[in-house]
Amino acid sequence: MVEIARNVDPDNHALYEGVPAADHRLERLRQLLVGGEISELSRVTHLLDEPEQLATAVGNVLPEATARASHTQLGEALAPAVERAAQRSIQKNPNTLTDILYPVFLPAIRKSIGEKIDQTFQSLNESLRHIFTWHGLKWRFEAWRTGTSFSAVVLKHSLIYRVEHVFLISRASGLLIAHVTSQDATSEDPQLISSMLSAIQDFVKDSFKEKENSGLDTIRFGELRLWSEVGQFATLVAVIRGNPPEELHEVIRDVLLRIHQESSRALERFDGDSSQLPGVETQLQTCVELQHMDSKEGFPWLVVTAVLLALIVAGGWYFLSWQSAHRWQAYLSRLAAQPGIVVSDQKIRGGDFYVAGLRDPLAADPQSLLPGTDVDPARVHSNWQFYQSFEPQFVLKRLSASLAPPDSVRLSVVDGRIVAEGEATTTWINRARAAAQQLSAGGPVFDISRVRDVSAEDRWQAYVSRLQTQPGIIVADQNVRDGQFYITGLRDPLAADPQSLLAETQVDPARVHASWQFYQSLEPQFVLKRLTASLTPPDSVRLSVVNDRIVAAGEATTAWINRARAAAQQLSAGGPVFDISGVRDVSPEERWQAYVSRLETQPGIIVAQQNVRDGQFYITGLRDPLAVDPQSLLSGTQVDPARVHASWQFYQSLEPAFVLKRLTASLYPMDKVRLSIVNGRIVAEGEAPDTWIDRARAAARQLSEGGPEFDISKVRDVSPDARAAEHWQYYVSRLEAQPGIIVAQQSARGGQFYISGLRDPLAADPQALLSGTQVDPARVHSQWQFYQSLDPKFVVKRLTASLSPPKSVRLSIVQGRIVIVGEAPAGWISRAQAAADQLSADGVVLDVSQLSELNLAELNQLREAIQTTDIYFSSGRVVPGPEQTPVLDRLADQLKEFAENARKAGVTARFMLTGHSDITGRETANASISAARAETVRALLNKRGVAPELLQVRGAGTFEPAVPENENSPTGNSTNRRVSVTVNLE
Amino acid sequence: MLQKKICMLGGFAVGKTSLVRRFVQSIFSENYLTTVGVKIDKKSVVFPDKTVDLILWDLAGEDDIGSFRVSYVRGATGLVLVVDGTRPATLAVALTLRERCEAEFGAMPFILLFNKSDLTDRWAISDGEIDELKQRGWQIYLTSALSGEHVDDAFRQLASMVAK
Repeated sequence: MVEIARNVDPDNHALYEGVPAADHRLERLRQLLVGGEISELSRVTHLLDEPEQLATAVGNVLPEATARASHTQLGEALAPAVERAAQRSIQKNPNTLTDILYPVFLPAIRKSIGEKIDQTFQSLNESLRHIFTWHGLKWRFEAWRTGTSFSAVVLKHSLIYRVEHVFLISRASGLLIAHVTSQDATSEDPQLISSMLSAIQDFVKDSFKEKENSGLDTIRFGELRLWSEVGQFATLVAVIRGNPPEELHEVIRDVLLRIHQESSRALERFDGDSSQLPGVETQLQTCVELQHMDSKEGFPWLVVTAVLLALIVAGGWYFLSWQSAHRWQAYLSRLAAQPGIVVSDQKIRGGDFYVAGLRDPLAADPQSLLPGTDVDPARVHSNWQFYQSFEPQFVLKRLSASLAPPDSVRLSVVDGRIVAEGEATTTWINRARAAAQQLSAGGPVFDISRVRDVSAEDRWQAYVSRLQTQPGIIVADQNVRDGQFYITGLRDPLAADPQSLLAETQVDPARVHASWQFYQSLEPQFVLKRLTASLTPPDSVRLSVVNDRIVAAGEATTAWINRARAAAQQLSAGGPVFDISGVRDVSPEERWQAYVSRLETQPGIIVAQQNVRDGQFYITGLRDPLAVDPQSLLSGTQVDPARVHASWQFYQSLEPAFVLKRLTASLYPMDKVRLSIVNGRIVAEGEAPDTWIDRARAAARQLSEGGPEFDISKVRDVSPDARAAEHWQYYVSRLEAQPGIIVAQQSARGGQFYISGLRDPLAADPQALLSGTQVDPARVHSQWQFYQSLDPKFVVKRLTASLSPPKSVRLSIVQGRIVIVGEAPAGWISRAQAAADQLSADGVVLDVSQLSELNLAELNQLREAIQTTDIYFSSGRVVPGPEQTPVLDRLADQLKEFAENARKAGVTARFMLTGHSDITGRETANASISAARAETVRALLNKRGVAPELLQVRGAGTFEPAVPENENSPTGNSTNRRVSVTVNLE
Repeated sequence: MLQKKICMLGGFAVGKTSLVRRFVQSIFSENYLTTVGVKIDKKSVVFPDKTVDLILWDLAGEDDIGSFRVSYVRGATGLVLVVDGTRPATLAVALTLRERCEAEFGAMPFILLFNKSDLTDRWAISDGEIDELKQRGWQIYLTSALSGEHVDDAFRQLASMVAK
């Protein structure tokens, strides 16, 4: 029994320690009774005791056991372990879990971010739209009051929308689960719509292989938007009219989520019977109620006001600029109407006016046209280039200046032509003709056909008749032979010189052959002249002609009276009467006393003593150096100077008059200071610089010891002005030294400087010369007339511009003459000659004598070679045969060489290629074939490097044959089938 | 409201579209067939106790089985297989389409329509063939889109099959 008890409970081993351990019979019995159970028990015990084996066993049943376990309990049991596991995994390596969740999160994140961005843009748009309305201000206040952002307030008020339909659609079948619609919204059969929507979603998904577990987010059609939210089993589609806020997505999503939470099973099992989902419609109804219809758009007063203000300002500005532009245009048209003014460019920029163009120096000053146009002169920026206008009135002016027509010629403008009428000399007519020729290149016609050449004979007769009226000239004979004038006659040496009278007429002195015999005319005035010359009457005697008698009156010495009497006797034989009865004889003593008393009345001369001894006159005294020279007073008194013995001591007279003279000499008073004597005082009046005043004051001090008073109190100190005037004078002298500038008048008045004169457009700018002279430009008022300076330097400049001399020619100025040296083509030389002729009228010498014609011998040789070259053609052909190639090559080389040499010589060579044909065939065909030949040769020469613009072509057909041709010849003459070359020089 | 998604399958030009044109409610133009590849129509079948709305997915008929969009069939409860009675090949097309659907979504009730029964002179399906198919327990109708013959019967039959 003990054994049994032991076997039943192993603890009993201890309890029954004293009892014998084994009884083999019992053991055997046990084997027999429970042997199987024991071995099974030991296997199970082994299984439980070995962890590896236990794990294997549990592992085999775990999936099955998990599947069968109660979900709630299992979930609860597992949750902490799973959480810990996930936590552990993230701690260990966050990437693992991130990688696992990445495909799940990414689409969600992407969508969320997209919506957020849309929201931002929407709020931005709305904010911008409402910034300037009254609402905008109100809403800003509201935002400030409620502490929300302005954009949020704007969105709240401005997003106007209405959810019109909501569809809940089964994702599996596309069947409509529920549909609600807002009041008065209509639509087609919602069942069909929902199916079609899911069909379209499938279509998009299939078409674009989009694997994402979402449907179409948004479909937009005009005002209508379809927003769809995709849930696990159903899709919610909202049809919205208007402008929904992005937050509406969240609202819709919430509704869909709620529906899924409440009816998840029913949705999953949905088979088309909507009665299984009763509560869904009420959920959807919340969506349809969503709307915001604040449709009162604020009238944008601020915007309107701002726009109006802007319009008024812009309009005003536009009007002003239009008006000023209008005035400007008026001024421009006025300018354009002015002869001699060419407006080349004008624009208005930034309210300023710019005009550029050409003006003739003789034309009206554009500046002077401004007054009366209302254009502000300060805003006008002109840039005028001087040019010589070819308008007839300007040319007329210039011609009048350069040709200096005699009074007998009148120049006028008739129908745009300049017509000279009247009488003139041949030389003048020649000069006028040269001018007309030069004008012919572009200028108006200068018609001198109506100027009559006053014939030399007429002028001669005028001269002769003038001579005949001359007293003391007697014309004995005169005639005209072969254009030569001969005259003989008598002339008194005292009569007018016939030669000098000739100079005043227009008779060529070289053609006058005069032969004059001198004679003494007895005409009273000639006799008078001769008497005056021979008798040299003293000042006290006056000779005159009275009734053809010569009368002498006055006082004279006895000696003179005796000589006069002798002359009168000589004249009595045929000459006029010489009456000397009116001359009174005076004695030497009388004359001496008269001289002395005259001296005594002279200021600055004090006669101390005088006497007469043995016919000699003695005088002593004092004289101021500034007083009259006593010696000079002697002449004319009839006192014999040889008998006068004078002894004069110099002294300084303090008589005011002398002091005044000395002051004048020592002080160099300025132009503006006037010295005068007032009551024995010397008074200076006027204006002077301080330096002068100082000097005058010193002089006054010196004079105070015994001399007359020198009052300078009336001299005004004008030092600054005077210095300015000095500067001004320096400037004027500088101007006067400038070539091409002629100062006509200049003055300084009230601190302002006025200058006027002439200037050549090529001369230095007077304004530019002001700098460095310390003259204030603002005080300078200049008035310059343009003129063409005849200073050789300027003439050279103008000639260079007008004649454009070739390189081989050099213009230089040699001792005031303009000399042209070098070689030039004949045409150019003749132009230079014409210019020289014209200039000679102005007194400028243009020496063209050292100009030689270009040596064209070499060129001529080459020209000859070219002109004798012909290119030949086969019958009917327009392309020369290959045998002509060397000819063409050589010709091309020659042409190039010739063109180059001609260019060096300042001329342009042109080559005329003339095509010819023989006379076989029709004439029209021949004409065209000849032209074609010339064209071909031109092309071939061009190919060989001859510039095409130098080659001209013409077809001569059969008209210029090289050899005469027999019309009956069947083949035609090969010599005539050619292209010939002629050289022209320009 | 009881609705069922029904797909109409058949080869090119077997007359599916004409078959439903006169007998169903439709709001979509036939352009959808060529653009989206599917057109949705509705056929309401009224039974004494209920009304079943058959939402008919008219899939663009294609002889190229490969381009058939199986995804459109997802969620369907029944099929309408349409065969052109004058073209025996279209029978094979219809049966293949059905096989593809069943392979994808499991077996579902269907009716088999031999269309263009008005074109008797060009009829190419033998009665024996039809009988043999009927032997399999299939619901078969000879229909004519022109005369409307059996069309209503066929939809009524399908409605009763899917609404069980």
